[in-house]
Amino acid sequence: MLEFFSYQFIQNAFWASILISIVAGFIGTYIVARRLVFLSGGITHASFGGIGIAWYFGINPILGASVFSVLTALGLESLTKGKVLREDSAIGMLWSLGMAIGIFFVFLTPGYAPNLMSYLFGNILTISMADIQLLLVLALVVTLFFVVFYNPILFISFDQDYAQTQHVPAKFISYTLKVLVALAIVFSIRAIGIILLISLLTIPANIANLFTKRFSRIILLSGVISFLSIVFGIVLSFKLNVPSGATIIIALMLFYLIAKVVGWLRLIIYKETFK
Amino acid sequence: MEENSKLILQVSKAAVGYGKEVVLRDVSLEVFENDFIGIIGPNGGGKTTLLKLLIGQLKPFSGEVKYIANGGGSLFGYLPQAGQIDKNFPITVMEVVLSGLLANQGLFGRYGIKHRKNALEYLKMAGIEHLKNKSIGELSGGQLQRTLLCRALISDPKLLILDEPNTYVDSKFEGELYELLKELNKRMAIIMVSHDIGTITSYVKTIACVNGSLFYHKSNQISTQQLAAYNCPIQIIAHGPVPHTVLLDHNHNEEGHKH
Repeated sequence: MLEFFSYQFIQNAFWASILISIVAGFIGTYIVARRLVFLSGGITHASFGGIGIAWYFGINPILGASVFSVLTALGLESLTKGKVLREDSAIGMLWSLGMAIGIFFVFLTPGYAPNLMSYLFGNILTISMADIQLLLVLALVVTLFFVVFYNPILFISFDQDYAQTQHVPAKFISYTLKVLVALAIVFSIRAIGIILLISLLTIPANIANLFTKRFSRIILLSGVISFLSIVFGIVLSFKLNVPSGATIIIALMLFYLIAKVVGWLRLIIYKETFK
Repeated sequence: MEENSKLILQVSKAAVGYGKEVVLRDVSLEVFENDFIGIIGPNGGGKTTLLKLLIGQLKPFSGEVKYIANGGGSLFGYLPQAGQIDKNFPITVMEVVLSGLLANQGLFGRYGIKHRKNALEYLKMAGIEHLKNKSIGELSGGQLQRTLLCRALISDPKLLILDEPNTYVDSKFEGELYELLKELNKRMAIIMVSHDIGTITSYVKTIACVNGSLFYHKSNQISTQQLAAYNCPIQIIAHGPVPHTVLLDHNHNEEGHKH
């Protein structure tokens, strides 16, 4: 194991896992509690359009993805304002449009076509020092925002209509959170890819929610679960020589099933004691 | 009415609606301290729209809604319909009640022992202090409604606005709620929207009817003639084992409305 850890890329992957788990703990808990998983999926996929355009013009793909995902997040807000278009329909449109634009521009780009699979599934083992620094900044910003505004975030997320009667900038908090969700998605894409990211934002928070109903504990627990599953997935993928991203997702779903069964057994035992 | 009591809320000639559609026109209303106004009206008549106007969720197209602030706490406490609450949201009873202090505490405010003690007092008053650490998903409809009432009250508002508080709750809680409101009415004005006029007429002091506009009559006596004059096409009914229409000369006392 120590020998395993002596590789530079394993150390990088280790630090990246910690930072991504912190981000996933906060952002995942928020989007699961607010039922924004589909919206986040839409933003994540729409950002692919930005990656394609950036490739075509030869600029940094992450920059393109950032602009696209923030625009999508804020665009959804204005598209669904006035109830002309329902939110899930708007998400479906921007989701597919973003992916289409991405494919379109990658196709138009002469010469070498980038490995699109790497944006879908990512590769935490090839993460660079620059990517880790980016993740560090993101993790710090997200943590700071949640620690400073924990109560307003909780109260506003729980009942937005009520919060608006309280003369606090409820809109400002939810807009900022949407932008943070979008940026968290983009900064993590390089390391873990679109698909793994969605599972890390969704599954750990739902596992944690099986054990606790407290917002703060779900954040903490889902962060820990994210980290353990990433490490577990990487080690297992090494042993079996299979892709790490897919292994992590399958491991996460396995953890979810185990947690479900444990909860179910506890309920049966609890009922037995009353017989 | 008490001529010398203080004006809390003044709505003057407000028109309000959604997009380009005007739902309510020429709404004027004055609320004084210790008022207890029951708002009734047919479905689709604009009860919810009026509430949204009063709590500032909708801005009037014309006219104005003015809260005459008289120091201290929030301008108003608001009790939404319990059905609008996401019961799966991971939040505890204590946290929900504390969220009623958001206006006072602002974005940077901390919630310390003082605030928790304050919240606990309201939970005691509502008889649910033993539930303070439960998540809202574990509550019954009546318990959730009590929790939301505590949230509305913790900022010690001058005006309490309730949106159909008698839906989703058992009749036992309903009776207790009305008694509690009677008590609260001694220190705050109350506006309550309800479709169950049979019951509310025995508790409220005055009745307003919403149907395209607001018809405010400073009395709690309603008869079918008045409703006709208000253009308020609703039947006076009360719940019972057999649905029945309350007769014109029916005395609105509690005996007539056993649940």
